[in-house]
Amino acid sequence: MEILEQFGINPILLAAQVVNFFILLFILKKFLYKPILKVLEERKRKIDESLKNAESIEKRLLETEEEKEKILTKASLDAQKFMDETKKELEAFKEEMKQNAQKEAEQIIKKGQEIAKAETEKMEQQVMGRIAEVVAVAMEKVAGKVLDKKDQKEAIERSIRNIS
Amino acid sequence: MEHAIVLQPEILGYFKNLPITNTLLVSWITMVILIVLSFLATRKVQMIPSGLQNLFEVFVDFGYTTVEGLAGVKKAKVFFPIVFTFFLYILFSNWLGLLPGFATITFEKQPLLRSVNSDLNMTLGLALVSAFLTHAFAIRYLGVVDYLRKWFTLNPVFLFVGMMELVGEVTKIVSLSFRLFGNIFAGEVVLATVSGIFAFVAPLPFYFLEIIVGFVQAAVFMMLTLVFMVLLSEKHAEQH
Repeated sequence: MEILEQFGINPILLAAQVVNFFILLFILKKFLYKPILKVLEERKRKIDESLKNAESIEKRLLETEEEKEKILTKASLDAQKFMDETKKELEAFKEEMKQNAQKEAEQIIKKGQEIAKAETEKMEQQVMGRIAEVVAVAMEKVAGKVLDKKDQKEAIERSIRNIS
Repeated sequence: MEHAIVLQPEILGYFKNLPITNTLLVSWITMVILIVLSFLATRKVQMIPSGLQNLFEVFVDFGYTTVEGLAGVKKAKVFFPIVFTFFLYILFSNWLGLLPGFATITFEKQPLLRSVNSDLNMTLGLALVSAFLTHAFAIRYLGVVDYLRKWFTLNPVFLFVGMMELVGEVTKIVSLSFRLFGNIFAGEVVLATVSGIFAFVAPLPFYFLEIIVGFVQAAVFMMLTLVFMVLLSEKHAEQH
């Protein structure tokens, strides 16, 4: 055991080192390994969870996207249909309006013609009256006699018949 | 006068029967540093780590993964604190021993500080703890009967092999302690010698070397302890 002495081996120092180690082991175990391993484990679990969540969210997002696409397509189709219908209706309405207007115009023209005709007739009669008067006066001058009412009338009628 | 490097640690004083050597003093300093660091690192553990917590998380995670890979999930929980404490303790004391002031500051003509593992007492203490715990776990996991049957069988050939292996167990202690002691002590000697020749810049490469050696020795001690623990606590296949 001379060699041990040469190296300065001392049982008390050995024991001190052993005690040191166990104290260190105890404290590190309690204040370093345990909390850190715990938080590592916890984080691992959380990451796992988050990854799973992310996956499901992505799936849901994809589904939503698809649904959106579907709805959009449908809406655009509907809108197209609606537009077509409206166009058709408008066309029909336009046509109807046109016909109405034409009819009305025709009516107005007809009425105007009628009024014009009546006016003409009235004028004709007036003119005839004037002519008869003139003829009566002339005849009086020519015949030299005053025609009575009865004669006048006769004469007028005769002359009118002749004229017309 | 340059202090000659001796194998024995210098005794600074006595506390009752306990001789306070400079290595013991440094081992206490190392412990205090480690304990304070771990307190700081886990003072308020956060889900999103930062600073010291982050650093220690990296170390602990790496260590735990290594232990888990070798020992399996169940035993890793038991083995990890022990082997990782070996690692941290040896690593920090090795690196601490490289700081300026070691072997240069004197107290009553003795160097006040000396690298922990350049004292055989310290490394032998660690090796004894390692061996003791290894066998304790073997008994715990195998039971006393299975544990004894590792060494003693009725078959004379296997009995002889078992005896050899028992000697091997003693050799493990010697190799563990002397490997660590030898490496660190030699490093000290080299650094002192080179510094004696030319103290500026010249020792720098050796300091780098010693940083690597300090890490490697800590890792080797940890891995060997771990492997011994795993091997001994495994059920032996009876027929070889």
